[in-house]
Amino acid sequence: MKELEKTRRISISAVLFILVIIIALLAYERPKHIYAENTANTLNKLLTKDYLINLSEINNPDFVLIDIRNQYEFEKGHLDGAVNIYAPELLNENNSKVFKELGEGNKTAVLYGNNPNEVNTPFILLYQLGVTNIKILSIDISYSQNKLITKNSNIEQSIVNVNAFIEESRKKASITSKPKKEVIKPPKKIIPKKKKKKMPAEGGC
Amino acid sequence: MINRSLAKVLSFRYKILALIFVVLAGGLVLLPKYEKHEGISPEKLLSNAISPERYISTDELAHKIINQDPSYLLIDVRDEVSFDEYTLPYAINIPLEKLFDEDSEAYLNQDEFDVILFSNDNFQANQAWLLCNRLEYKNLRVLDGGMNTWFNTIINPSTPKENMPAESFELYTFRKAASMYFGVAYPEQVKVKKVKKIIPKKVIAVKKKKKLPTEGGC
Repeated sequence: MKELEKTRRISISAVLFILVIIIALLAYERPKHIYAENTANTLNKLLTKDYLINLSEINNPDFVLIDIRNQYEFEKGHLDGAVNIYAPELLNENNSKVFKELGEGNKTAVLYGNNPNEVNTPFILLYQLGVTNIKILSIDISYSQNKLITKNSNIEQSIVNVNAFIEESRKKASITSKPKKEVIKPPKKIIPKKKKKKMPAEGGC
Repeated sequence: MINRSLAKVLSFRYKILALIFVVLAGGLVLLPKYEKHEGISPEKLLSNAISPERYISTDELAHKIINQDPSYLLIDVRDEVSFDEYTLPYAINIPLEKLFDEDSEAYLNQDEFDVILFSNDNFQANQAWLLCNRLEYKNLRVLDGGMNTWFNTIINPSTPKENMPAESFELYTFRKAASMYFGVAYPEQVKVKKVKKIIPKKVIAVKKKKKLPTEGGC
């Protein structure tokens, strides 16, 4: 009798143990977004630079333009045929579906924003999540009289050689300060001429 | 009857339990898939990426450099050629392709210093920042606008117009002083010795009235 009680206890605890595991498995939520690329691979991709395209290349039937600015700016003006997906909402269910469908349809998502830098981080994020058919449109957007103006943008281009500029400024400073030798002119001697006063005609006798 | 079948099942109970454990252990094989999931969750990464918190302005940085603030570490992510040409004082060069080298990690993954990443504009610095942020490196900042903005604001500040508010004039004087600190020379900076003009005392000659010789009267 005593032995039977012992085994019963063992089986009860075992069943409880299994129950806990099953509950944990059920409660375990699969994360919605999983990275498909690790950071080292992503870095290699970033170094290739083949993800950057400019305005002349967008007339490709396989490209789908995606505007990552907010709705207000999108409605103010956007490129023809662009879809608006605001950057903070990139990971919403609907939007991740959009990217999935683009991938299945062999289309390439071309992201753009006010400047390439704005698109940079969303691009890397999506790439790491496995959206590999994705590119950045490197343009700057500005408005003139409520019309959208797009301009190809130079990424990572140094505008000036700072060292040369500093050298130049030093030269300039030294040139302008040198020749200013002040020649001390001897003050003109003014010799006052004494005007002879006409003596008032003196009364003669 | 029930008792007998129950006893039959119970005689297998250890085998059944063992089987369940084996199946559960098999489930562990599936787990390593998630191990690839290095770094913070994508949702958090997105919210970090969108917030402008990481940017440090060129003025702030100039202030830090001039005040010899020891708490920051400048990291230039451009290539070596540009690094040799010109870089910020005391910057360390880690080109983007060497971002995950062992040597670089010592600089990037620590929590003693504020690491300030910069490149010609924000683009490469942001790429480096995002990758490191995913790996939970701490205290990473990005120089807003990079070297180009550094040049436009600190090295070669534009003179404010007359109708601008007083703050922009104050900012300009700070920037100009900073640019002198970083080696730019201005023509007016070379002090021209002011020669004090000695104003000669005007001597007003008081003409003494000559006493007219007494004229002959009648």
